[in-house]
Amino acid sequence: MNLIQHPELADRLAAAYALGSLRGGARRRFESLARQSPQLRALALLWQERMSAMTELQPQEVPSANVWKRIAIALRNEEDARRVAAAPSARRGAGFWRVAALAGGFAAVVAFTLAAYTGAQLSQLSATPEIRYVAMLEDERSSPAMLVTFDAKHGTLTLKRLGDFREQADRSLQLWALPSGAAPQSLGVVEGGGVIRLPAVEGQLRQVPALAISLEPKGGVPPGSGPTGPVLFKGAFVPTT
Amino acid sequence: MDSPNDPQLIALLDRMATASLPFAAREEAFRALYDLTAAKLFGLALRVVRNRDWAEDVLQEAYLHAWRVADTYRSTLSPPLAWLGMIVRSRALDFLRRRNSERADAALEIDGAIEETVAGDAPNPMDTHQASEAAWALHECLRKLEARQREVVSLAYLRDLSHSELATQLKLPLGTVKTWIRRGLDQLRGCMSRFA
Repeated sequence: MNLIQHPELADRLAAAYALGSLRGGARRRFESLARQSPQLRALALLWQERMSAMTELQPQEVPSANVWKRIAIALRNEEDARRVAAAPSARRGAGFWRVAALAGGFAAVVAFTLAAYTGAQLSQLSATPEIRYVAMLEDERSSPAMLVTFDAKHGTLTLKRLGDFREQADRSLQLWALPSGAAPQSLGVVEGGGVIRLPAVEGQLRQVPALAISLEPKGGVPPGSGPTGPVLFKGAFVPTT
Repeated sequence: MDSPNDPQLIALLDRMATASLPFAAREEAFRALYDLTAAKLFGLALRVVRNRDWAEDVLQEAYLHAWRVADTYRSTLSPPLAWLGMIVRSRALDFLRRRNSERADAALEIDGAIEETVAGDAPNPMDTHQASEAAWALHECLRKLEARQREVVSLAYLRDLSHSELATQLKLPLGTVKTWIRRGLDQLRGCMSRFA
């Protein structure tokens, strides 16, 4: 049947098609006819356009302020990932990691200040952990993202999240030592919010001027391999004494 | 003719899509677009999914999608709010499909406060704030429908519901839903033809 010779019926079917109330076999027949007939197709598109205006007529409602915060965090993650992907030659080579290690003079100053402060505080308290190293890891905007301390007495790296960054459920953060002149060494996968503890021995941390955190698949990269995802945070790793 | 906000929204979408701009400038345009449109689009998401937490998830996904495809906006020739509305509706429908396939009791979680009734004396729930020319025309035509018919036609579209799904959701006899949709659509067709 040529629907275009029955304009009333063609219009009714196109409207029901666009509304979504034309279902099942009737819908498939209409689609097949529309594929054959530009006029019918135009009519369907016209009705789709008219119906889509329904989305503009709903009452307003103010969403919670958290929605924009979550969008902004996801946006920055994407931007980081895009930037790293856009520089493939730097991604795997040691060059990128050397840059990461040297970046952020300010971070180093913060870390040294922290180191002096923490050292002074802790020397007075014999029962407290023996903090040998500290690092302030910062994001690309130089905002503090993670405070890392190493307690030699207990062989523990303690990480404290400072910003509001949260990785997606299917990703993990991984902490890396960036030794001078050698490949990054994994210090473990950072699981959980707030404060995270990872076991470490002091030998792993000597001659390590900087730490970095990369975004990796859930559970981190396989043992022995280097980072695969973008570096989100980095900073100088400084002895307290 | 563009609605008053359109040139501003289009300029913001253009800035979001300009790869040569620094990230911070593109993000700032995005934020401005969000501030101008979020209440409208959240209202839409809420109407489709009927739960504030879900609607917020939908809104977040929809804006991130808009950010990623902002460079395709101009080629659609759509008014900006209509384009964003399409993104929100399709994300909201995806969300409900995922949800329904995950759990059969999803219907129980719908916020009681916003569970709707199709009372005949319901006030006109439509809002033409920021609406495009096309939305004005549709608004004028929907306004001429009886409130219950308008509600059934609106929900059929917004939630992509079949006659029987509408009957279940609105607790109406199937025959009634069919009649209202058919009559509603016939009236809409008569009225909309004058705006073409």
